[in-house]
Amino acid sequence: MMASGLLPDTAAPLTAPFWSALNEGRLSAQRCTTCGYLRWPPSELCPECMRPGAAWETLRGTGTVWSYAVYRRAMHPALADAVPYTVAVIDLPEGIRVLGTVLTSTGDADADGEVRIGDAVSAVFEEVAPDQAMVRWIPAAQGPRGIA
Amino acid sequence: MVAVMRERAAIVGIGTTAQGELPGRTANEIAVEAIALALADAGLTKDDVDGLITCRNLHARSGIDEQVGALMGLNPRFGATLDYGTGNFSLHLGIMALAAGLAETIVLVYGTNQRSQRASFGIPIGGGAEMAAAAGVVHVAGPAALAFRRHQHLYGTTEEQLGWVSVAQREWAQRNPLAIFRKPLTIDDYLASDPIVAPLRRSDLTMISDGGAAIVLTTAARAKDRPKRPVYIDGFAERTAFRADQNPDNLMRPWLGDLATELWSTSGYTPADIDALYIQDATSVWVLQMLEWYGFAPVGEGGRFLAEGHTRPGGSLPVNTNGGQLSEAYMWGWLHLCEAVRQLRGEAGERQVAGVEVALDCSSHDFLKGAASILTTRS
Repeated sequence: MMASGLLPDTAAPLTAPFWSALNEGRLSAQRCTTCGYLRWPPSELCPECMRPGAAWETLRGTGTVWSYAVYRRAMHPALADAVPYTVAVIDLPEGIRVLGTVLTSTGDADADGEVRIGDAVSAVFEEVAPDQAMVRWIPAAQGPRGIA
Repeated sequence: MVAVMRERAAIVGIGTTAQGELPGRTANEIAVEAIALALADAGLTKDDVDGLITCRNLHARSGIDEQVGALMGLNPRFGATLDYGTGNFSLHLGIMALAAGLAETIVLVYGTNQRSQRASFGIPIGGGAEMAAAAGVVHVAGPAALAFRRHQHLYGTTEEQLGWVSVAQREWAQRNPLAIFRKPLTIDDYLASDPIVAPLRRSDLTMISDGGAAIVLTTAARAKDRPKRPVYIDGFAERTAFRADQNPDNLMRPWLGDLATELWSTSGYTPADIDALYIQDATSVWVLQMLEWYGFAPVGEGGRFLAEGHTRPGGSLPVNTNGGQLSEAYMWGWLHLCEAVRQLRGEAGERQVAGVEVALDCSSHDFLKGAASILTTRS
């Protein structure tokens, strides 16, 4: 399990809907109400059509590992209790690519071998602060391996 | 582009301060020391300077042109500060100012006390910084490790192959009195060390350091009157990737390949013309990436190229002959430019490469910008 680490201001107007959806067990992203572009990371304007306005859309919460790395040393004091932990770039079926923490039995995917590029992963929601959940990812070990 | 300039720009002076830990000194004070050294090298005084281009520090409001100008008592015609002032970007702004007639003798400078100030680099890098931090992806080591693991997956690149970046640069650094890290580092030492952000090790990352570097830039015509052999800028190109993670495979930085294509086609040079190569190395992975994107090795074969020893002393393509940021000092690529000038002038002492006439300096600013310059003594 990972410590709370570096949580931003979860009440900031731009991202508050994202954080509150996590508390309901939903991963979400903005879809532009003008051109329909699915936006990640959250942004005030659409990087395609430059218009404001977006609706938060629930994502499936599945993905495929594009790459991963293992933090064995904390590169920020707030993460001192979290190491070792595994991070990944995850391709979502909705067409966006996100960074995430992958939970494995030891935290070190190089040691436990539980994460490989191309693996399918699923979102889980872990309480990381009082009244705040964060999305984490777990290997969909029972399912078929993805294609890299 | 080069073709529209009336004449080439030339570097006529360089100055480098001690590197490492310079306690009790401000960033601007270090910058002015570097400027004094560069002016002495150029045989000029501050009264000859009519342009000042400075480099803002990452974590402090220091390195601003107004501050540096005030500290050195200078009212140049032209002053500017770059927030992303890795050496090449500042050099290009200087070339533009010369071409526009805004100045004729320009000092470019970067000074920092970020080590003494204990500046934290444990910050997220690139787009979506807040979300990256929440996932624990902080410090450039994270994205670099993710990029290298992907390279391994696609091309079979090994940790040992990557290790040759750090080992070769340490071999060069042992011949450089300015370098902070001069202790021998073998490939066995490298492989025996523990990963910090696996698959990357300590030797794949830079250590934050204090120091200063400055460059005096002028027109080719004026350069002829200076005591040192002029080093001309014969080609340059830049690229941005501001859309960051929305760009395809941005961690691999494929847009550097577009930059390289423009550089080669507008300058008329090819990779085979390059006698010494400089790659700004926030991490060793950037060296691997840029060897490939600039065409020194086919994409996917950078690891093999490194393991063959081409970049080491005595190799066919000397890379980062100062030791680079991994072994010399962390100066945002400024020392790469200074080293290129030293090699081109034949002033590199024990590490001098024979017959260097053309050098290429490649820099990048996170996952957001790239720049490159071709430097030559050919008149």
